[in-house]
Amino acid sequence: MTLTSLTGPTTATRRRRTWRVPPTVLVSFLVVALVVGWSVAPGVFSTQDPVNGVPADLFAAPSGAHWFGTDHLGRDEFARVVHGTASSVSSALVAVAIGLVVGGLIGLLAGFLGGLVDTVLARFVDVLLAIPSFLLAVVIVSALGFQTINAAIATGVSAVAVFARVLRSEVLKARSAVFVEAALVLGGSRWHVLLRHVLPNASRSVVQLAVLQFGLSILVIAALAFLGYGDPPPASDWGLLISAGREYPLAPWLVWAPALVTIVTVLSVNRISRWLRKTD
Amino acid sequence: MTGYRGFALRRGGQAVVVVLLAYVFTFWVISVLPGDPVTTTLRNPQNGFTEEEIARIVSYYGLDRPVLVQLLESLGRFLTGDLGVSLRSNRSVADMIGEVLPSTLVLAASSLAIAVVLSFLVAFGVQYLPKPFSTALRSVPSLFLSVPGFLIGLLLIQVFSFGLGLFRAIDTDGPVATFFAALTLGIWVSAQIAEVLIANLDHEAAQDYAGVARSRGLGQVRLLLRHLLKPSALPVVTVLALMIGEVLGGAVITEAVFGRTGIGSLVERSVASQDLPVLQAVVTLAAVVFVVVNLLADLVYPLLDPRVTLQRRPEVGAAA
Amino acid sequence: MAPQDRLSVTLPRPEVARPLMAVRGLRVAYGGHEVVSGVDFELGAGRSLALIGESGSGKSTIARALLRLLPSAGRASGSVELAGREILGLPERRFRSLRGRTLGFVPQDPGNALNPVRTIGAQALEAADLVDGLAKEDRHEAVLDTFAQVGLTDPARVWASYPHQLSGGMLQRVLIGLAVLPRPALLVADEPTSALDVTIQKRILDLLSGLREDLGISLLLITHDLAIAAERADSLVVLKDGVIQEAGPTAEVFARPASDYARRLHADVPALNPARYAALRDGRDPASPAKIEVQGVTKTFGSLTAVDDVSFAVPAGTTHALVGESGSGKTTAIRLLLGLEQPDSGRIVVAGEELHGRSHESLRSVRRHLQLVYQNPYTSLDPTWKVERLVREPLDRYRIGSARERGTLVRETLRAVGLSEELVSRKPSALSGGQRQRVAIARALVLRPDVIVLDEPTSALDVSVQAEIVETLLRLQAELGLTYVFVSHDLSLVRQLAHTVSVMRHGRVVEQGTVASIFDSPREEYTRTLLDSLPVGAA
Repeated sequence: MTLTSLTGPTTATRRRRTWRVPPTVLVSFLVVALVVGWSVAPGVFSTQDPVNGVPADLFAAPSGAHWFGTDHLGRDEFARVVHGTASSVSSALVAVAIGLVVGGLIGLLAGFLGGLVDTVLARFVDVLLAIPSFLLAVVIVSALGFQTINAAIATGVSAVAVFARVLRSEVLKARSAVFVEAALVLGGSRWHVLLRHVLPNASRSVVQLAVLQFGLSILVIAALAFLGYGDPPPASDWGLLISAGREYPLAPWLVWAPALVTIVTVLSVNRISRWLRKTD
Repeated sequence: MTGYRGFALRRGGQAVVVVLLAYVFTFWVISVLPGDPVTTTLRNPQNGFTEEEIARIVSYYGLDRPVLVQLLESLGRFLTGDLGVSLRSNRSVADMIGEVLPSTLVLAASSLAIAVVLSFLVAFGVQYLPKPFSTALRSVPSLFLSVPGFLIGLLLIQVFSFGLGLFRAIDTDGPVATFFAALTLGIWVSAQIAEVLIANLDHEAAQDYAGVARSRGLGQVRLLLRHLLKPSALPVVTVLALMIGEVLGGAVITEAVFGRTGIGSLVERSVASQDLPVLQAVVTLAAVVFVVVNLLADLVYPLLDPRVTLQRRPEVGAAA
Repeated sequence: MAPQDRLSVTLPRPEVARPLMAVRGLRVAYGGHEVVSGVDFELGAGRSLALIGESGSGKSTIARALLRLLPSAGRASGSVELAGREILGLPERRFRSLRGRTLGFVPQDPGNALNPVRTIGAQALEAADLVDGLAKEDRHEAVLDTFAQVGLTDPARVWASYPHQLSGGMLQRVLIGLAVLPRPALLVADEPTSALDVTIQKRILDLLSGLREDLGISLLLITHDLAIAAERADSLVVLKDGVIQEAGPTAEVFARPASDYARRLHADVPALNPARYAALRDGRDPASPAKIEVQGVTKTFGSLTAVDDVSFAVPAGTTHALVGESGSGKTTAIRLLLGLEQPDSGRIVVAGEELHGRSHESLRSVRRHLQLVYQNPYTSLDPTWKVERLVREPLDRYRIGSARERGTLVRETLRAVGLSEELVSRKPSALSGGQRQRVAIARALVLRPDVIVLDEPTSALDVSVQAEIVETLLRLQAELGLTYVFVSHDLSLVRQLAHTVSVMRHGRVVEQGTVASIFDSPREEYTRTLLDSLPVGAA
């Protein structure tokens, strides 16, 4: 047997894993925490009314009184963004949850059981992959009703395919690992090995993937809301705000405020996801 | 069955199964609609269907028969190329799609071309530019992946149409407008490809053979072109094939942003009027495109990349 | 002379009083961390120098620094003179013309050293480009000539092949051929044979020596193997942690090592110290009843016969070694022994129990007394488990003792294999290769089995770590009366620790018997070839 190149720390360079968090990641965590705060308790962050505006204040540029300015009905844009976070962000969480639970289960079963189960499940996953997520979302939203939560369900259904694929390949990789066979030789039953060795190793990459999908879902749901496949006005989903703001080119802050909030949120989420991948 | 032929047959069989399943899946989702929007559409006095027409459509679609029968008949028609009849305009769905498809295809194709060019430029830049620039360039693709695609479109319209007047927002099917629409979609696609390409190039550059090639006196340029490019670029084929669905979806969104006619506008109209046969046909066609493209990619890839083996070798403990 | 003729004639080398290469005060640092600290050595024209060291000694780093192929984080300083000319400070553009033409390189792992998606020939042309004055159309022929010169029997086929279609030995010949094609003055060979089988190692090293004499090329040989270095080099430099421990002509350094480290290194090399563990090893009763009996076992995978009518017996309390090169079937043989594969025919009896045709569950009772240590300590331990749990796992699976008793047993076993208790809460990624392998041994040992099968347990480790582990294994055998089945490709290691040996080739047992009979009076030709391939140090 030829000696394959073996990697690993030598006696001289034994390094304990350091948990130093880079500053950009810290900032990202803060941003995400803030956004979560907005979605959970919007009233704490903005005391102004997102639904009823003061007509006299319409189209005010950003200022001390109105951080993001006001819209065509005199509503405080900041309040609208904050109050829209709940549906923009928590709907993304729902999408990821659906993808993770359903997709993860499918991937695990396909990887563990193999054979016919694997073939059948693989075809279902192929179907979900084949249908563009946007079109699937359009169809589901048309069927279930024009609400953001339905857009989230649709995005989640598409995400099932991604999670299923990744989990399946991770399970297959873990199953063929040397330490899994070693555990069998040590007297482990197949069940013990699957639960205690294969599963923990296969799920290591899931967290990073879930975070990544979270960011993606925010973007997809924003796009759907932009085109009207979400909660109707007076809801203030970020995508809907951008779409509404587009009508008023003289008040560019109506587009840029929700846009920047979206971008910064997704950037932070992606930064966290990349950091998770590096520390794996 | 081993060998390329067996592999091709297996893959082809899988593709057929997936297309059929996709059709069934779409049909099922649509038929699960609460209420009976078909009848609602038909019976809506505004649409002006006569009783005769209603009866004819109902019998054509078998709407008065069990769902399973409807499915089978519908599938049979689909396989012979009959995509059904629009509930709203009474025209053949195939015709309607055929009208708008070219515009979308032009958009998708040109955006793919732009994406490939952009991503290779970025990847080369990361390899060649001096340190501060290349590090900055590295984070550009992930930056763009955090921006919603439609926002890029809005920005481009703002700058180049309203700002510089290069094209008018009304005349959005002209070449200049098409270019910017393709650029919008292309930037987003290129961000994904660039990330994969940069990661692959890094990985290949760290391989032993790269160092050995450099020990033979190869400079950066020749190393990249002769050694690193092929193994890094080949996996991009697979990535692109997997992204086809997202490209189509992105094309729909871009069309909406730029106000172009295309599949996107067709979908929008059909959603508004709950014209289900059109929606079903569009979704199924998209799935077919995805399956065919991926099938081709899977069949062609092993021929290009000698690293890939198709046969499943037995688990040998003492492999020579 | 015509360019083509250059390739078949030794270039006359001017008689230089100066050495070909002179290195003074070479330092290499990654970030702030220095890995090579002030190294000096000289290499004369047409001479050979070996840099010897274990992992982390900096020897490969020095090789890369000389070729200026350090990773971007590496910084080299000091002075490196080639034929009197300072090259460390040369701008990259000027230095690049030296790479390949004047300074050649032969890498360690031939399997990864060529671009897998391009044919050999396409890459070989790059080497031919380095020959000044060679016309484009003559390049193909020049490469084929070189292939023939390095002993490849079908140069045209090699030209058209992809790397994965050739064996390791053939690939290394290709790489050596490409490295010497431009007739460099100096060839840097970084562990050129450590990834190859032992019989092929000798042939490749002979090839290098032959080319060196024919073409007058100087050789800088990087190796961890003191015996090989002593055989093939005119002078030696011994490195540890980036610092020179000892340097000088081979005869002196090898015969009379002055530094502690060199002496220890000498003592740790199995080939040079065959009787090192004689006291510990001998004294087993060879006539004790057979613990393991393998009779006429055959196993095929499709068209490949991995194990062909293999029989051997292992007396209790002794060590039986299975020796062979890659493809010999030794790994398949022990997998059959452990019940991880089912034989097509034959009998396997372990401690009186037949193994044939038993399911995973029924084998559990057998495995209580039959454990395995894998070759690769980096993949045989679950990276998400802590050491304590890893070693305790067999006790948990077999429900031995109470929870507290298990904990005590784990700690005792860890002590027995030489690991300190503070490692119990660490995960494998925080341990070195040697420590991981000790954990694997502890895990196999904790059940106090009768038989432990070890699949090349030290081939991934440094020679000094290997020596410690071998001593631990022998000590445990003396204390506990364990029976070992030891798989290895390293005959000299086998000579140190085994009682009986089976030599395997292509799935068959070529010869077997006691260690003494195999090594002193081998009957079969293959055994003799294997023995001849062992480096014996300076002649």
